[in-house]
Amino acid sequence: MMELRKTLAGRIALTAVATVILLFLALPIVVILVTSFSSNAFSAFPPEVWTLNWYKALFADGSKWPAALSLSALVAALSTVFSLIIGVTAATALVRSELPLRSAVFALVLGPLLIPQIVTALGLFLLFEPAAMLGSPIAIALGHTVLASPIAVLILIATLRGIDERLEDAAASMGAGRLTIARKITFPLAAPGMIAAAIFSFITSFDEFYISQFLSSVDTVTLPVQVYNSLTFEIDPSVTAVSAILIAFAILALGLVALVRWLGSGRQQSLLSVENTVGVANPGGDAV
Amino acid sequence: MAEFDVVTPSVKVADGTLPTATGKALSVVALRKTYGDVVAVDEASMEIAAGEFVTFLGASGSGKTTTLMMIAGFCEPDSGTITVGDRDVTKLAPQKRNLGFVFQQYLLFPHMTVSENVAFPLTLRGVPKDEIRRRVGETLEIAGLSGFGNRKPRELSGGQQQRVALCRALVYRPPVILMDEPLGALDKKLRDQLQVEIKAIQQELGLTVIYVTHDQEEALVMSDRIAVMRNGLIEQFDTPRELFERPRTPFVADFLGAANFLPGHIEQHTDEHTLVRLDASGGLIKARRHQPASGTEVKVAVQPGRLRACATDDGFCTGTVETATYVGTLVRAGVRIDGGDAPLLRLEVPAGRGPVTGERIGITTDPEDVNLFADEQGG
Amino acid sequence: MAATLTAGAPGRPRKLLASRRTRVGILYALPVVVYLLVLFVYPIFSTLLLSLKNADGSLTLHWYADALTGVNLSVLFTTLRISAETAVLSLVFGFVLAQAISRLKPLWAGLAMLVVVVPHFVSALVRTYGWIILLGDKGLVNETLTAMSVPGTPYQLLYNELGVVIGTTSMMLPYTVLLLYGVMRGVDRRLLAAASSMGAGRVTIFRRIYLPLVAPGLASAGLLSFILSLGYYITPALMGGPNQTMIATLINQQVTKENQWNGAAAQGVILLVLTLAGLLLVKLVSSLGASRKKRSAS
Repeated sequence: MMELRKTLAGRIALTAVATVILLFLALPIVVILVTSFSSNAFSAFPPEVWTLNWYKALFADGSKWPAALSLSALVAALSTVFSLIIGVTAATALVRSELPLRSAVFALVLGPLLIPQIVTALGLFLLFEPAAMLGSPIAIALGHTVLASPIAVLILIATLRGIDERLEDAAASMGAGRLTIARKITFPLAAPGMIAAAIFSFITSFDEFYISQFLSSVDTVTLPVQVYNSLTFEIDPSVTAVSAILIAFAILALGLVALVRWLGSGRQQSLLSVENTVGVANPGGDAV
Repeated sequence: MAEFDVVTPSVKVADGTLPTATGKALSVVALRKTYGDVVAVDEASMEIAAGEFVTFLGASGSGKTTTLMMIAGFCEPDSGTITVGDRDVTKLAPQKRNLGFVFQQYLLFPHMTVSENVAFPLTLRGVPKDEIRRRVGETLEIAGLSGFGNRKPRELSGGQQQRVALCRALVYRPPVILMDEPLGALDKKLRDQLQVEIKAIQQELGLTVIYVTHDQEEALVMSDRIAVMRNGLIEQFDTPRELFERPRTPFVADFLGAANFLPGHIEQHTDEHTLVRLDASGGLIKARRHQPASGTEVKVAVQPGRLRACATDDGFCTGTVETATYVGTLVRAGVRIDGGDAPLLRLEVPAGRGPVTGERIGITTDPEDVNLFADEQGG
Repeated sequence: MAATLTAGAPGRPRKLLASRRTRVGILYALPVVVYLLVLFVYPIFSTLLLSLKNADGSLTLHWYADALTGVNLSVLFTTLRISAETAVLSLVFGFVLAQAISRLKPLWAGLAMLVVVVPHFVSALVRTYGWIILLGDKGLVNETLTAMSVPGTPYQLLYNELGVVIGTTSMMLPYTVLLLYGVMRGVDRRLLAAASSMGAGRVTIFRRIYLPLVAPGLASAGLLSFILSLGYYITPALMGGPNQTMIATLINQQVTKENQWNGAAAQGVILLVLTLAGLLLVKLVSSLGASRKKRSAS
């Protein structure tokens, strides 16, 4: 490849600055993971004494965390189901049909991703408050689906675009009916995308804070809201352990998506390639 | 080249599942398709016999692919009927027509192995497992793919993938297999090789094949009969030899034989021949007997390979060699004909005996190789 | 089905099939459209309506007058200022990092991208907490500076604008890196070589060739991180002091503490309008970039 020659000094400088920026991104996460095992849960770094106390405290009697965790899991599971239903149908409509007002529908789908979440949350609050649905897990899940379903739609659009529609024609030419084609051809090929859509929907809901905060009541507090409350009102050292769990959870989810993508792509690119990583980060591609 | 005549299907298929060993496999009557104002296919009719290899040959936009898609059921005709065997399939969905289709882009199912791909149509038909295994194995062997059964399509080369696609289309012995430029994505050498292979398989199994291509040589090598299409019309539907030697329209003569066209006037008819006075040189050329519908103005068509250089006083015209290009076994020459501003006459003569640039030569040919066409307006 | 196979053929497929595909499309589009109309568009409209209503139901603009005067106005300015600072910083850092990653060997580039992407998917709340631990008086940063005998330690890095901007910048950085990385991959590096073959120096090439090529992408990325920062709430609320109250914080307070829905609605609408204006600018910039690309291609 014809390219500009790079000077050694320039490269060293660039690498050094890039390393600092990467540290800037990674440190807040690393510090939580480390501190969660430290006897002093708030500041001292690196820890002088290692301990599992904060993790144990999570499940001690009177702890608010188990309830928050199970509520978040329930809400996330619900909005994953909603998002998948919406995502599969919407992506089919947008990719595999002649839809009138196609770009208007697409703009509507992108809307929740572009508009400040606080505005969406406020709107949902105004919708659910008069209906006396504040604190209802269903309401929170419905609200989260507003944010999660567009992500599912984008991922599934990319998935469907990646499946050659003529494969379905080929199957038809051999005598396969509509249902057989859907079951034997389209579904297996779309499965990795659907798994990715499910994971991202789940994590979007699980981490969501604005809508949860507006729609929660005293008794129904999701995990992120509980984290926020512990950081502002009641100083609870277990919050470090919870944060560490949330980090582990996010990494696990991303790892799963990367794995599914990698398996789905027929292991063509290496698992740890920029393409795979960026693909994981931008599931909808350049849809925006 | 054009050595294939109509092949009678060899009925040596072991399990005898060949649906129609004789008789017509498919007929198309007055098929018509328009897209807005554009007539894509205009009243196409043809009958294809069982075991025949028929090619739709034409440039893009000639209607060949549209015709194939209508037969397959991927596109519905405005009018006309399509009959497979004795069954009218015109209104049926593709999956109900029981035809085979080989696509240019292979379209193998990426999530299935080679064996699973080939087994797919059999599974749909509820064939028992043992039977499927046996037939898949047999078919892969015919295509030289034994041992590739457990691979995924992407692990195969383009040529191998297309062989799998072929297996998948023929494993369930559909009465007719349609192929849409199946070799279009392959390089020349592989294409030549697969042409021979597909032809051999077709002959061995007695398959009825409708093949679409824009490549004249491919059509000539493989086909029993070729339908030359242009602007939605079938110009001529004939054996390669007939098309090559007895083109019925100037388009066919040009498209298949890259013929030289020389305007002239009919001078006289004999029992077997027609004598034409060429406008350019004023020389006389002897052609097969041809009686145009009206007038005496004709176009004389001779293929470059049927022209020979001779002594200046022996031929139907004389000229000066302006270009002579050595292309392997042949020399391609362009000759400026004396007396007239006609385009260069193209000759193809065996290398070694080729004329050299600047040489004055006479040009001759056999009357059997000269075709006459009524001189249409501007045609 | 027919549409794909006959795509090469002139004209559109016949009406009957087209209408079937249309019917299928409308049927499948219904869930998402209905859902978002009810739970997204309608609530935003009711927000708009609420922001224009008096207690007695009559129309008024005084909630907007409120939102644009006094303390509220200064909150709006603070929001714009912090968002601008965040956008500039995340753009500069993002540019440098994307530049570095695009020059790394594949494995290292993959690893670096991982460090960019993983935080992006970790809850902002958690990352903010990480910063609070890091930037405290006894946090890693101050301890390190003290250990290096930097005078004036410990620095006040939290509960001021510096803290907020550090936090929000780290939240926006993944966006800008990913966007700019895509833009940089799109630049034909042979153009730079061509320029150097004509005798252009490094600085000239960067300024006259590279920068104009990536400029639309830079503008989009900067604008996008600005827009995203506008509605940010978690980080300013946890890492800022009273002087770093942003509009989202105000909305939250009015709803949860003061029961002042109309005022919150008006501020929400202002935030929405600012966002839409920014998105319009993004669109303008990207269409400008597209037309420039087209011109250079033709």
